[in-house]
Amino acid sequence: MIALVGAVHRNRELIWALALKELKVRYKRSFLGFLWALLNPLLMMVILTVVFSNVIRMSIPKYAVFLISALLPWTFFAQTLSYSVESVVGNGDLLKKVRVEKTVFPLAALVSNVINFSFSLLPLLFILLVLRFPLHWTWVYLPIMMLPLIMFTLGCGFFFAAMNVFFRDVAHILQILLSAWFYLCPIVYSLDFLPPRYLLLFQLNPMLYILNGFRFSIYYGKLPSVGSILISFGIGLITLILGHAYFRSRQDSFIFYV
Amino acid sequence: MSVRIQFEDVVQRYLLIRERPDSLREAFTKMFRHAGSTELEALRGVSFQIGDGEVVGIIGRNGSGKSTLLKIIAGVIKPTRGRLEINGTVAALIELGAGFHPDLTGRENIVLNGLLLGMSRKQILTRENDIIAFSGLEDFIDSPIKQYSSGMYMRLAFALAVEVDPEILLIDEILAVGDAEFQEKCDIRMREFRQRGKTIVFVSHSLEAVRRICTRLLLVDHGKILADGPPDEVLASYENLIHQPAQKEPAIAPA
Repeated sequence: MIALVGAVHRNRELIWALALKELKVRYKRSFLGFLWALLNPLLMMVILTVVFSNVIRMSIPKYAVFLISALLPWTFFAQTLSYSVESVVGNGDLLKKVRVEKTVFPLAALVSNVINFSFSLLPLLFILLVLRFPLHWTWVYLPIMMLPLIMFTLGCGFFFAAMNVFFRDVAHILQILLSAWFYLCPIVYSLDFLPPRYLLLFQLNPMLYILNGFRFSIYYGKLPSVGSILISFGIGLITLILGHAYFRSRQDSFIFYV
Repeated sequence: MSVRIQFEDVVQRYLLIRERPDSLREAFTKMFRHAGSTELEALRGVSFQIGDGEVVGIIGRNGSGKSTLLKIIAGVIKPTRGRLEINGTVAALIELGAGFHPDLTGRENIVLNGLLLGMSRKQILTRENDIIAFSGLEDFIDSPIKQYSSGMYMRLAFALAVEVDPEILLIDEILAVGDAEFQEKCDIRMREFRQRGKTIVFVSHSLEAVRRICTRLLLVDHGKILADGPPDEVLASYENLIHQPAQKEPAIAPA
């Protein structure tokens, strides 16, 4: 953990530059450029809203806000992981030629997606405005909710990025895993809809607590229980420590496999 | 003279690519077949010292272990065994602009690569103009570098590496690109470098370039150092090596 903080501090300028490069390259040569960071979640939400409030007819008031409050952090998680998993392999050429701390690559993937995420809060505000949904005071807690989300995402990112160096199947498995995981999380539905006997099973899902934090402060205008907040922090911290430890234990052999 | 680079009995083994599992399926099949993997011993016990102000050329045939040596000095790979000491900052030109991204402009690449080579943002920005001037690419610096010719690419990479001003500069076979004028610029810069007590390690197949620039040569063959000394002597033993019939020494040993 101390090693990670040290690496971030030593390489902060490099991580920032790599993250900006990532964004620049991602949006270069597209007509709308950076607007895609805003449009993407907006369109995604429109699709899911149409499907789940009109076709499947979920009886949740202001479903769009309900949905997007958990969809945004989920999209951040899924997108960061998709970038992280390829981050070491994708920079293989670089690793072979320049001495650079390998942890910077998953970190840069994280930072570029945090920037993206911050921009995607704009369409959320736009929707609140259009739907005349109140802007709850609990929004001020969003930065605190971000912490466990970031720790959990980064921990998974380290783990999958390292695994993918040795087994390229991991990137494919991850995509399947993410789409299954999406439906296991109460994003398009609420936990109340579940038959009580499954509840315990769903409570094993670590993302549940993290996403709940977002939904509570944006949609319900309440704070999640102290227990739930503590669990999210605990999960985030443990995942980060384990993921980073795994990454570090394998990083010296990356060079032979990229 | 203080020691910049010290190798003591350094051994480097590689797993050969065809034997290592690249996917889960291969890993599983291997688990059941108990197939032994083969290893390549790129360096087998190499020892030497390089001090301040030396310009050391590493020569040898293809696959002799030259680039492996350079990569170990650069810190890109950790040797399998042996003791290794590097004192001072290292800038490696192992391949032309390794971290260059084709979609970024020359200027953006200078910043990104400067950071990769270990400079701080501030240092880069103060030296940016010198780098651009040395590369002679003033007119192209704000265009994406995928539009550069390979010569322009190389000039930018070299300009950047010398401006990093490392204690140890590693160069792998790049001075062959670039026109005569730029080559001369590089030669001057490298001489200056040496006079300031810095160390250059240089891998090349161009014996002419090696003779021109180096103060000392290491001849590497089959992962061992065959000769170490003044350029003329070592070049003579290299000639002998090339002209004697190749020995059939297996480089690949089963693990």
